[in-house]
Amino acid sequence: CTGELDVLPEDPDTFLVEDFYTTPESYLQGLAGVYGNLSLTGAEGPDNSNISGLDAGTSQYGRGLWNTQELTTDEVLWSWENDPGTRELNRNIWSADNVILRGLFGRAMTQVAFSNEYLRQTSDDVLDSRGVDAGTKDAIVTYRAEVRFLRALAYYHMMDLFGKAGFITEEDPIGAFQSPEYNRAELFAFIESELMAIIPDLIAPMENDYGRVDKSGAWMLLAKLYLNAEVFIGENRYAGCIQYCEQIIGAGYELAPNYLHVFMADNHQGSARNEIIFPVLSDGVVTQNYGPTTLMINGQVGSVEQNGGDFGVGSGGWGGALRVTRQFSELMLNGTYDTDDRNTLIIGDRPIDLIPVNNNGTGYVIGKWSNINSDGSPASATEIVDTDFPMFRLADVYLMYAEAQLRGGGGSLATAVGYFNELRTRANNPNTISSSDLTLDLILEERLVELHWEGHRRQDLIRFNNYTSSYNWSWKGNAPNGIPISESRKLFPIPNASLSANPNLTQNEGY
Amino acid sequence: QTVTISGVVTDGATADPLPGVSVVLKGTSTGTSTDFDGNYQIEANMGDVLIFSYIGFERIEITVTSTNHNVSLNEDLQRLDEVVVIGYGTTTVKDATGSVASITAEEFNQGNIVTPENLLNGRVAGVSINTGGEPGSGSTIRIRGGSSLGASNDPLIVIDGLPIDNVSIGGSRSILSTINPNEIESFSVLKDASATAIYGSRASNGVIIISTKKGKRELSVDLNMSIGSSVVPNTLDVFSADEYRQLVSNERPDLVPLLGNAKTRWQDEIYRSALTSNQNLSIQGSLLKKVPARLSIGRTLQDGLRLTSEFERNSGSLSLNPNMFNDHLKVSLNVNGSFEKNRFAPGEEGNAIRFDPTQPVYDEKSPFGGYFQYTNINDDGVLDENDLVGLAPFNPVANLLQRNDISEVKRFYGNLKLDYSFHFLPELSAVVNLGYDEQRAEGDVKVSNLNPLTQNDGSIVGSESNYTNYQKNVLLDGYLRYDKDGDRFDFDLTTGYSFQKFDSNQYTSGELLDDGADTAPVLNIDPDLVLIGLFARTNISWADKYLLTLSYRRDGTSRFSEDNRWGNFPAAAFAWQISDEFFPEARGLSTLKLRLGWGITGQQDIGRANSALFRSRYVQGLPASQYQFGGVNYPVGIPSFRNENIKWEETVAYNAGIDFGFAEDRITGSIDAFYKESKDLLANADISDGSNFSNSGFQNIGNFTSQGIEFAIGGDVVESAENDGFNWVLNYNATYIETEIQELALDQDQLVGDIGGGVGNTIQINRVGYTPYSFYVYRQVYNAQGNPIEGAYADLNGDNIINNDDRYIFKNGAPDITMGLLSNMGYKSFDLTFSLRASLGNYVYNNVNSAGAQLNLIQNNSVLSNLPVTVTDTNFTNTPDVILSDYYMENASFLKVDNISLGYTFDDVLNSRSTLRLFSSVQNVLTITNYSGLDPEVFDNGIDNTIYPRARTILLGANLRF
Repeated sequence: CTGELDVLPEDPDTFLVEDFYTTPESYLQGLAGVYGNLSLTGAEGPDNSNISGLDAGTSQYGRGLWNTQELTTDEVLWSWENDPGTRELNRNIWSADNVILRGLFGRAMTQVAFSNEYLRQTSDDVLDSRGVDAGTKDAIVTYRAEVRFLRALAYYHMMDLFGKAGFITEEDPIGAFQSPEYNRAELFAFIESELMAIIPDLIAPMENDYGRVDKSGAWMLLAKLYLNAEVFIGENRYAGCIQYCEQIIGAGYELAPNYLHVFMADNHQGSARNEIIFPVLSDGVVTQNYGPTTLMINGQVGSVEQNGGDFGVGSGGWGGALRVTRQFSELMLNGTYDTDDRNTLIIGDRPIDLIPVNNNGTGYVIGKWSNINSDGSPASATEIVDTDFPMFRLADVYLMYAEAQLRGGGGSLATAVGYFNELRTRANNPNTISSSDLTLDLILEERLVELHWEGHRRQDLIRFNNYTSSYNWSWKGNAPNGIPISESRKLFPIPNASLSANPNLTQNEGY
Repeated sequence: QTVTISGVVTDGATADPLPGVSVVLKGTSTGTSTDFDGNYQIEANMGDVLIFSYIGFERIEITVTSTNHNVSLNEDLQRLDEVVVIGYGTTTVKDATGSVASITAEEFNQGNIVTPENLLNGRVAGVSINTGGEPGSGSTIRIRGGSSLGASNDPLIVIDGLPIDNVSIGGSRSILSTINPNEIESFSVLKDASATAIYGSRASNGVIIISTKKGKRELSVDLNMSIGSSVVPNTLDVFSADEYRQLVSNERPDLVPLLGNAKTRWQDEIYRSALTSNQNLSIQGSLLKKVPARLSIGRTLQDGLRLTSEFERNSGSLSLNPNMFNDHLKVSLNVNGSFEKNRFAPGEEGNAIRFDPTQPVYDEKSPFGGYFQYTNINDDGVLDENDLVGLAPFNPVANLLQRNDISEVKRFYGNLKLDYSFHFLPELSAVVNLGYDEQRAEGDVKVSNLNPLTQNDGSIVGSESNYTNYQKNVLLDGYLRYDKDGDRFDFDLTTGYSFQKFDSNQYTSGELLDDGADTAPVLNIDPDLVLIGLFARTNISWADKYLLTLSYRRDGTSRFSEDNRWGNFPAAAFAWQISDEFFPEARGLSTLKLRLGWGITGQQDIGRANSALFRSRYVQGLPASQYQFGGVNYPVGIPSFRNENIKWEETVAYNAGIDFGFAEDRITGSIDAFYKESKDLLANADISDGSNFSNSGFQNIGNFTSQGIEFAIGGDVVESAENDGFNWVLNYNATYIETEIQELALDQDQLVGDIGGGVGNTIQINRVGYTPYSFYVYRQVYNAQGNPIEGAYADLNGDNIINNDDRYIFKNGAPDITMGLLSNMGYKSFDLTFSLRASLGNYVYNNVNSAGAQLNLIQNNSVLSNLPVTVTDTNFTNTPDVILSDYYMENASFLKVDNISLGYTFDDVLNSRSTLRLFSSVQNVLTITNYSGLDPEVFDNGIDNTIYPRARTILLGANLRF
């Protein structure tokens, strides 16, 4: 009776693939699985991860992005440097064994794998073989476009951070396939063509379910691709950036009247919703994760101030995990932003310098993010937050437009200045500017003020050539006041583990 | 003149009749054997000589002088004729070809033995047993160091032919905690592949065969009782309240206002001296005058050293061993039931080490049940998270006393074995063994609403949840045995089929005091595990001098795909009785036997969670893992890591051994050398990114070797001629083991060894060319005075950046050499036993110091925190700067006196056959080590991040037999 060896799953939450895709709902669940990978680390709660090699919570997609785009810059430092990998990011001394880099590399590429799997399971042939009805098939056309967007987004992150990726699609086998390496130019071309191809199938701006991407998400990704095209592929594509920024702005998004409402527990509804183009969701009950919003809100709680109650989390938060650099504080204090809602510095008796790093009472802290609803009511839990992470939002589009305009991409300077002033006005900053005041340097400053801790800073500093040599900040290059770092640190190394698991990959220069 | 001689043959020790004793007329082939009641009848002449022989007993020759000769046979104390249980059969030490150690009751460890495996801790070369300090705690058992990297390294444990699940059911202390050590007759430890390969798929890590006590004919009653008291031998050295005040005012005068007025030794507060007691009663005799039977009941109570920790086991077992049809059918039925009750105490060691010694345990004004807690009462009418000082620790005593975490585990296991020798061909027998093991655990965890524990929404309402776990395993073995003893040529063949199936599931209620979606109940059902084996073994011996064993097993597992699920596991062994060959009459060197063995074994145990990796599985998100589209929750559906090619890990093992005996085998011993190579290692390894649904997963990734030498010697150091003279038996064993990773796919390092201090920090690495779980650290730089410089690490790669690339491999947690010694002395009615264990060359990473002995930790957010006094050795201030330093590596070699027992036996207490032994023993007597932490014997491959202290127990007991 060797047939007994054919054992099937009995668990109520485990299915063979053919038993999973049986209802129209299941295709939405599969879609939720791909979206969910931006926020969830696994299927069994926030302490569970389908990525290994690092702490489960730290393996969260958005947190990996946030760590790499923020800790490595002048915006913020992570206080608990015994958390593996953080010290190396704080001080720009990371190696190819850094577990946070390994985790993000794996997380983004697993997103590619999830996307490919969804595309495999929803091909026409497969759907026909399952006898899926026409209505569901129609809906799936959109789902597939959204999944291709998510895959393009993952490749975009790989291209930006690592400069390359193993290129793998739904045509390739599942298992241990060693994919060919795509360099930046190849990835750029793929992402661009994918986005172009799916836009017709995506739902019109602001008309899709909240949480799902629409046409404007794809436009935004194209705009970012073109804004950074000089870094990515050495080409001037600012006109493309202007074009897609205009399309987004024309689609009806509006700034929330209150800047801080965009970063509160109920930012999935009300005025914030009209500003956020693409969110990564978080919920204290049903979408539990230790991603960027949970990290920022607990992390911004001051060790001295014990002010977690002000942000709807435990009074101690995470014990003063996040503090800003001297350079960040100096910009906020330069006189322009004294009344600005975006300046949330908390100073108290703190010294401005973070010396020594491990004393959580040094350096200033901020209070931009909150796990309290805009009407003051509490969120659903006090550690994992309800606050969604606005990956793309309108204010970013305004500043991208202004920058691309100044960099010669067309559009109108007056419009650019208008957008710039709209942001200041919304933040109750009376210091509006005129056309002659608008410079690239000012835009970089304003991006920090408007978009700090939202995962843009490293890319911005690189695009403005301020990342490695010309501009220093606290602990850059492992020096208290900062020193220049090697050019090669504009790209992260390919993690050693990834390199050995796929010998087709090549290490970046300098590592 | 030929007459009919008759009589009864009995066991000299027990006076039980002995069935099956061979009675042969010397110099002829005429013979018979005793019947079930020990009776024999044989035709002989006066003056003839009869030879009585029976396996395990001394052979006797008597000259016929009457028609009635009752004979009593004495057990053969020469261990070479000892019966040794092996897979699907038995052999004798003399005939064994593999590396097999047999430990019977008289060699068991004495003292406070709560779980069965501790009966043989330290007794067998090559077997290491590491038991925790919790009452009824399980053990990490390793035979020859294990052979796997990512799959299980646990040996297979077989009880009366039934292999048991090596996963402990949740709610129970361990896989063996439900089993009463008093029920155990003997252990056989199968170490080399030639002995284990008959168990094929699960034999790579060795096999421990447990035989339980069986029924006998003669009525006897055995009553064992003991009672003991356990204390904490020592606690970690932290600052006393006064020293701490001094420290704070020296180091952080700004924090002096936070000091309290109390003097509390928190470690003393969380422990207690604990009682332990044991009662066992067994009765054996013939049921209905026909059926040898044994009934026993036992009860063990053990309080843990940690406040509230309790273990209770009630067990009963019944064994029936009738023989039928003129002994052609031997039946063995063993039925065991056990009922384990636990109260678990959470690990408050770390909290107690750190808790401010100037704060009191009790505070009458405290709203939290009268226990001191760090509060910030805001008088808003409700006690919730906002009334607590953020991130302050909770009073460890309150955490213990305000938590009621209880479980009840019911286990029913046993087997029915039918052994039928065919009437028409007695050499051929058929054996069927049916085994069954079912466990059900129910647990309930409550935390008082007077404990500051907060729910996810910040409310303080206590906590409540419960769980039910279930585990079942059924076995069907059937085999045929042909056994032909020739004049000089002996031959036996065993061939059969084995089927085993494991079921398990776990239900948890979730938090009952929170009705959120994320606290909904969860039922997890593991895929069944089915294992099917076909096996054959033959033993061929010539003139009792040349012994050859060949075995073969073909095993199938439900874990792997149809193409990969079958594995073939052959083995061969050869033994040569050199002494019989060259000096059969020598008395000095009385035994010399050479053994050579080779075999292949398999491994497929990569945990229940990985039962079906070859299938295309989707897992649906729990209520906390949903994603929202337009405000509607969708449980995510995500594909799981898949490896269609996953297959057997195989271990090829070689063994060469010599058994020796001196002075008519008064002293015997053995030396074994082994070499094992595991290939296609199953391990969770990195996988090409994007090709799968994770960045890593179980794959067959590399090779791993281990080699070692084992030495054992034992015997009668002093053997008195008289019965009550001085006798001294010593047994000593030593093991040297070396392991090395030979190959990892694509040379991938694996970072392993989670430590405390930093989220997800690791201290160990698996790298080609090194021992698994080697420590991976920074090299500390010292100043001219020899003191470590804080944060100064050697720049090993010379790139002027100190980062991960500067870590290096330094030592590992595995000992180079382990040793065990057991001494038994007897004089008149006294007996004195002691046992020692030693471990040499094992290194420990002192995580208690590395994550706790830095001056910055005086401030724990807004409260104060104590430190190990070792901080004054370094004056280090900042944990992240030093935590991965090799400064925290320590040589943790040790010598332990595990037990000393003294007993006195009174004879003829109730009647002439009755004895009463009174004894006293001390457990965990002494540890000699240079290790600075609490106990050098730690878990987790040498990472010491606080342990549940092992008790020192003083025991008084009585053992009455009649």
